[in-house]
Amino acid sequence: MAERLLTVDTLSAFHGEAQVLRDVSIDVSVGEVVTLVGRNGAGKTTLLRSIMGLHKNTRGSIALDGTTLDGKSADKRARLGIGWVPDDRGIYATLTVEENLSLPPVVDKDASWSLDRIYEQFPVLRERRDFPGTKLSGGEQQMLAMARPLRAGSRLLLLDEPSEGLAPVIVSQIGQIIRDIRSQGVAVLLVEQNVKFASTVADRHNLLAQGEVVESLDNDAFQSRTTELLQHLGM
Amino acid sequence: MRHTRMISLAAMVAGSGLVLTACGSSAGGGPAAASGKISDDKIVLAVLNDQSGVYKDLSGPNSVEAVKMAVEDWKAKHKDDAVSKNIEVVTADHQNKPDIANTKAQELYDRQKADIILDVPTSSAALAVATQAKTKKKVYINIGAGTTALTGAQCNKYTFHWAYDTYMLAKGTGGTLTKDGGKKWNVVYPDYAFGQDMTKSFEGQITAAGGAIGQKVPTPFPNDNFATYITKAAADKPDVIGTMHAGGDLINFVKQYNQAGISDQIKLAVGLMFITDIHSLGAEQFKGVTFTEAWYWNFDEQNRAWADKFQAKTKTRPSFAHAANYSAAFNYLEAVQEAGSDTGDDVVAKLEGKKINDFFLRNGEVRAADHRVIHDAYLAEVKPASEVKEEWDYEKIVATIPAAEAFKPVAESGCSM
Amino acid sequence: MSAFIQYTLQGLATGGFYALAALGLAVIFGVMGVVNFSHGAMYMLGAVGSAVLLDVADVPFWGALVVVPVLLFLFGILVERLLVRWLLALDPLYNFLLTFGLTLLIVDLVKRRYGVSGLPYELPAGLEGRVTIGGLSLSSYQLFAAFFSVALCIAVWLLLTKTRIGMIVRASTEDAERTRALGINVGRWVTPVFGFGIALAGVAGVLAAPFRAITADMGSNFIIILFAVVVIGGLGSILGAVMAGFLVGLVEAYGQAYAPSYAQVLIFVLMAAVVLVRPAGLFGREEAS
Repeated sequence: MAERLLTVDTLSAFHGEAQVLRDVSIDVSVGEVVTLVGRNGAGKTTLLRSIMGLHKNTRGSIALDGTTLDGKSADKRARLGIGWVPDDRGIYATLTVEENLSLPPVVDKDASWSLDRIYEQFPVLRERRDFPGTKLSGGEQQMLAMARPLRAGSRLLLLDEPSEGLAPVIVSQIGQIIRDIRSQGVAVLLVEQNVKFASTVADRHNLLAQGEVVESLDNDAFQSRTTELLQHLGM
Repeated sequence: MRHTRMISLAAMVAGSGLVLTACGSSAGGGPAAASGKISDDKIVLAVLNDQSGVYKDLSGPNSVEAVKMAVEDWKAKHKDDAVSKNIEVVTADHQNKPDIANTKAQELYDRQKADIILDVPTSSAALAVATQAKTKKKVYINIGAGTTALTGAQCNKYTFHWAYDTYMLAKGTGGTLTKDGGKKWNVVYPDYAFGQDMTKSFEGQITAAGGAIGQKVPTPFPNDNFATYITKAAADKPDVIGTMHAGGDLINFVKQYNQAGISDQIKLAVGLMFITDIHSLGAEQFKGVTFTEAWYWNFDEQNRAWADKFQAKTKTRPSFAHAANYSAAFNYLEAVQEAGSDTGDDVVAKLEGKKINDFFLRNGEVRAADHRVIHDAYLAEVKPASEVKEEWDYEKIVATIPAAEAFKPVAESGCSM
Repeated sequence: MSAFIQYTLQGLATGGFYALAALGLAVIFGVMGVVNFSHGAMYMLGAVGSAVLLDVADVPFWGALVVVPVLLFLFGILVERLLVRWLLALDPLYNFLLTFGLTLLIVDLVKRRYGVSGLPYELPAGLEGRVTIGGLSLSSYQLFAAFFSVALCIAVWLLLTKTRIGMIVRASTEDAERTRALGINVGRWVTPVFGFGIALAGVAGVLAAPFRAITADMGSNFIIILFAVVVIGGLGSILGAVMAGFLVGLVEAYGQAYAPSYAQVLIFVLMAAVVLVRPAGLFGREEAS
C-alpha cells in the first residue's frame, strides 16, 4: 500500500447545537482516489470544509502526511498542499481565467504545473485566458477549478461534486482528468452523488449517512453492490 | 448572508440617517415666591443655548461669559445698594431641539430656581421655551432665534425678543438693496420653516421697495453641494442672488458661489449671517456680500470698548448675540433693582415700555404691546481682505436703519397678550 | 441645451468626488467585511488636516494633497491595529458600531479643538479662474478636481487590475474565505487595505477643502450619501462604487436643476429602486444560495 497522506480520525463537526458529523474516520493515500458518497445533507461538504480549515466547530483530528492540521488556518493548510475545488467551483468573476490560475501561491515547485502545461492539457483555457472567469461554460469552469490547485502543486485535491450539472460527455472528460491527476501521484478526496461516475474514477468509497460513515469498501465491491447500497442510502 | 445583511444595514443607515434622541426628566414645580422680594434669596440667570452644536461659536459658552460680565458690571454699579448680592448664572445645552429645550426650561425654572432664561437659538426651540415661561410666569428674553412669532401670534406676557428677527433681516437687506437698485432678485433657500419664513419676509420687503423675486429655489437641508442650484439661479442674470442658508450650509454656498464666477456681475445677499461665519471662511471669500447686522463690535468706540473687555475674557471678538446677551442680562437686573423683586410680573412691569440706550441698544425701546425690543439695525458689507486691518475687522457698515423702521410695526404684529 | 451640458459637467465633477470616497469604502468592505461608518469622519479629517497644515505650517494645497493622505494612511493602520482588528472575527455589526463610536469621538475632538464654525481655506494657486469652452463655463478648480478624481480612480483601477497585490485584493473582495482556502493570507493584507481606504477618504477631504465648508460635521451628511452610493453600486463591488459615484453625482445635479427640493430625496429613491429590483446593487453579485 502506498504512503498515507490524509488521515481523518474520529472527526465530529457541529453547526451551532446540531451535530453534522459523527466520529468520521477516513484516509487517503498518495495516488489514490477516495470518495464520499451520500445524499444531500449527509455532511459531505462539511467534512471537506473541516479538512480545509473553513469549518472550525469540530472535534477529533486531521493530519496531513503525519503532521496535525489542528489549529492551522485555511491559508496555511493550502500552503501545506491541500487544494480545494468547491462545489460552486469558486471561480472569481473579477479575475481573468489566467489570473484565476495564477492566484494561489505555488506550494511545491517540483509538483507545480506550468501555465503552458495546463494550457496543453486544457486548450480551451488558453483560448479564453483573458476572459473573466465566470464567462466560461460550466464544464470549462470545472476544468479551471481543477487546474488551479495543479498549478499551485497541491498534493491532495478536495473535489466537491465535480460532475454536478454537467453534460455526460463533459462528465467523462472530468473523469479522465481525475485519472490523469491520480497517475501524477496526487491524492484525491472526491465528494459525489453521481455513483456511476464515482465508480469510474475511484479506488475506494466511503458511504456517508446522517454524518456517519456507514460503509467503507473498495471499488469492486462497490460496483457489485451498487443497487443495494443506493437503496440503503435512500438515493 | 454577510453581504445581504450588511446591504440592508447600510441601506437602512443611508435611508434614514442616524437619529439620536435624548430625553430628560422633568422637575416638579415649586411655588412662586411672594411678591416684593427676591425669591430663594438669590437671582438666578439661566442661559439656555447650543453648547456643542452648529450655533456654539456664534453664541454658546461665550454668551454665558457675556452674561457673567453683565452680572459683575451690574454688581460694581450698585455695590451695597444692590437688591441682592447673591446672583447666580447657570447654563444648559438644548442642542437646538424643541423637545430638549422644553424639558431643560422646566428644569431651569423649577429645580434650578432660574428667574430668567436667556438666548435660546432655533425658532422651534425658542417657541417651546416661550410656552414654559408663560406657564411658570417667569421672564424669558430670547436673543438667538429669528422667528417673529415670538412677538406675534405666539407672544406672551413674559417673553421678550431682544436682538433681531426675520423681519429686521428682510427689511435691512431686502428693502435697502432693492431701493439701491437691485430690483431683480433670485432667492435660494433651505426648504424648512426658517428658510421659508425668510423667503416670505424678503419677498414682502423687496416687493414693497419696488422689486421682484424671479426664481425661488428651494434646496434640501442640510446640504453641501450647491453648484447646480447656483448655476440655475444665475441663469437669468438677476441683479441680486439672496441666500437664506445659515451655518455650514452658508459657507458651502458662498465657497461654491465664488467658484461659479458670477460674483462680479451678480450681488450676493445673505439672509442671516454672523461675524463668526466670516471669520471661519475668511473675509476674502465673503467680500462684497451684503447682510443685516444687529450690532457690530468695531462700529464705534463704545462698541469697541465693550469688545475689548469681552476679548480679555474669551480671547475672541463678540458676535451680536454675545453683546445682546450682555445687554439683556444687564437690563433685566436693572429692572429687578427698580422693582425690588425678581417675581416675573414685577419685572415685566418695569421692562415694558422702557427706553434703553446702551452699547447694544441704540435708540432702544422695549415695546409694551408685543415685547419686541426695537433698536437701530445696520446694513453691512464684508470688506475685501486687503482692507481688513486686524483680526475680526471684517465689516463695513453702509447704512443705519432707524429703530422705528427696522422692525415690524406693532399694528402688523398680530400679538395679543 | 447648453444649460443641460453644464448640469451634466457639474454632476460628473461631483460624481468623481463621490466615486473616490466610495472606492475606499468598497475596498474596505470587500476585503474585511467592515462597513466603515468612520469614512465620513476620515473625509472630514482630510479637509480639516489641509486647513490646519496651511495654518500652522504653510503647507499649500498641493503639499496637503500628498501629506494628508499619507498621514491618514498611517492613522488608518493605527485604527485597524488597535481597534478594528479585534472585532473582525465577530458579527460585522460590531465593527459597524465601533466605527460609528469612533466617528462621534473624532468629530467631538475636532469640535473641541477647532470649534464648530469651520476653518478658512482658499482656492489653490493657479486654479482661481474659470475655463470657458464655447458657451460653457466651469471653474478651473471643479475641472481639476473632476480630472484628478477620475485619474486617481483610474490609477487605483490599474493597481487593482495589473498587479499581483491588486489581484489578491480583488479576489479577497469577491470572496475572502475562498481566497484564504486557496493559500493566501488575507489577514496580512487587511491592515494596509484599511489604511489605503482611509487614505482615499482623506484625498476626497483634501479635494473638498477649497469648495466645501470645513467643519467637524461635514462628514455626517457625506457618509449618508456614500452609503447610498455603495448600496446602489453593490456593496463590495469596486467597479460598482465608481460607476454609482458618477451616477449619484449626475442624479444630484439634474435633481438640483429640475426638482430642486428633491435633489437629495432622488438619490434615496434611486437607492430604494435599485435595492428592490437588484438587492445586491447594480454591479453586485447575487448571493449563491
